Amino acid sequence: MWDAIAGFFADLVSLSNPLWLYYPLCAVVAVVYKTTKLDDPRKIALGAVHFFVSVSLGMFGLGLAFYLISQIF
Amino acid sequence: MTDSPTLLPSRSPLAALALGWLIPGGGHAYGGQWGKAILFFSLVTGLLVAGMAIGGGTVILYRLWLVAQLCAGGPTIALWPISQYLAPSHAEVDWASRWHDVGTLYTAVAGLLNLLVMMDAYLRLAYPERGKENA
Repeated sequence: MWDAIAGFFADLVSLSNPLWLYYPLCAVVAVVYKTTKLDDPRKIALGAVHFFVSVSLGMFGLGLAFYLISQIF
Repeated sequence: MTDSPTLLPSRSPLAALALGWLIPGGGHAYGGQWGKAILFFSLVTGLLVAGMAIGGGTVILYRLWLVAQLCAGGPTIALWPISQYLAPSHAEVDWASRWHDVGTLYTAVAGLLNLLVMMDAYLRLAYPERGKENA
């Protein structure tokens, strides 16, 4: 099971796996969304970083949970 | 951005909406926010072009995705003939490719982001008193 989890992490950052393209996509969404909400460039930058990290961690946790469920059942 | 957060109240919100559809960020430029306009144009158009490149150029086709892609307006219409040229029929598209899926997702997200940008340009002109620093 630990090999499978390690493989999940290794494959996630592999250049042959298009999943890594999620990161620039999420970054663009974060910047555009925060720029529509805020006017101060510093607040936009901080808000975008916070948005990116929150969404990435959430998606990562969700993906890991689904992966573990798929391995168990 | 550093440009004026309060837009010119005499400008038409509907014109900002239409301009924002035609050119991503056009609504903000119309309202005098050139910094935001350039940023939105770069990001939305860049995402669209990146999606086309990632998906092999065959991502803007007659599918349900087109509804989201068309929200990016002018750039989507400009890139549409390329997809039609590369894939005159759906049989020539590699549907099993994960890169094609990601490219399609990029272009669809670009369209939906432009919808958000258009609505922001509209609301800033329609309700100039609305507080923006609340997110």
